[in-house]
Amino acid sequence: MLKRPTSRRKSNAGGIQINLVPILDTMVTLIGFLLFTTSFIALVSIESPLPVIRPEKNQDLNPEQPLQLTLTLRENEVEISSPFHKIKPKTIPNQEGKADTKAIHESLLEIKKLFPKELTVVLIPSQFTLYDSLIALMDAARLMTATDPPIYLKNEQTGYDEPIKQLFPKVVFGNLLENS
Amino acid sequence: MPSQRGIQRRRQRKKINSTFELQLTSMMDALVIIVVFLLKSYNVSQNNFSTTPGLELPLSHSPETPSDSIQVVITPASLTVENERVLDFIQTAANPGSTNARYDFKKGDLDDEGRKVVPLYDALIKAREKTELLLSKSKVRINGKPAPFEGVLAVQADRRVRYDTIRKIMYTGSQAGYSIFRFLARKNEV
Repeated sequence: MLKRPTSRRKSNAGGIQINLVPILDTMVTLIGFLLFTTSFIALVSIESPLPVIRPEKNQDLNPEQPLQLTLTLRENEVEISSPFHKIKPKTIPNQEGKADTKAIHESLLEIKKLFPKELTVVLIPSQFTLYDSLIALMDAARLMTATDPPIYLKNEQTGYDEPIKQLFPKVVFGNLLENS
Repeated sequence: MPSQRGIQRRRQRKKINSTFELQLTSMMDALVIIVVFLLKSYNVSQNNFSTTPGLELPLSHSPETPSDSIQVVITPASLTVENERVLDFIQTAANPGSTNARYDFKKGDLDDEGRKVVPLYDALIKAREKTELLLSKSKVRINGKPAPFEGVLAVQADRRVRYDTIRKIMYTGSQAGYSIFRFLARKNEV
């Protein structure tokens, strides 16, 4: 006696067809929404607090003079100095009309090694300094790059030495409140 | 010679093939890829900052993303606070969108030995009062009191704007009670 043939052969060879049209509609709507709301330009920010003028009374209470690292931007050069002579002043000439941010960054790294707890840098731009140069200088003064040699600072809570993540993150404009 | 039955079969086959269906599967594949790409690059930001056409922002490696705050935009032609035009710069032929744009203020707009920009000061005071009113009506309370005004002013400027102009804006902001300046730039991906 012959075996009964399997029922699979009898079944419809075409299979069930899913109606893709509503799914397509949803996809097109979703793409439209995403294209409309996505911003393709990523914005970042750099904060700078308003400089605070300390009264002379308070200055007398603190006998140890601060570093007050100052970057003075001139037409052809940038001077790195401390008004309290904590560091030797250094002048870095501009390269192709722009501040040599790489050399400035390297000089600031050396200063950071000497004063690892210092967080503030005072920026004194000239009236002709462009916004582009200001941002580039603030980046050079604030951020540590991947190629920078690590600088360690003891974490007082854990007692371990930890690498510093930022150079001088607090940028203050020194001549903001002065008369022009 | 072909038989009559053969001819009929061929005709039937032709009839079946004449109803053609659009193949949507490949289109679906492409759309799914686009949706996945867009969802991956979609970033939910906490601010409503938008860039202005013609404004060329500088590039920065800063990792900080700006949170929402009152915003001043310096375009080659004018100064806007919270998307409202506050004043126009002195227009020269080179101004709009040019590398030689000067961003000079009109003499009547300046006060306090040329350091304070009067229309900007008024607009910033107005924006501050509006924010303080919103904070006072907000349900967010700190020790039973409304959250204090943070005094953050976001500055969005063209890369060619000189410090002279930015300084006047910052000075005016400080006079209007803003103590933190947030400079905006485009993220440098390199």
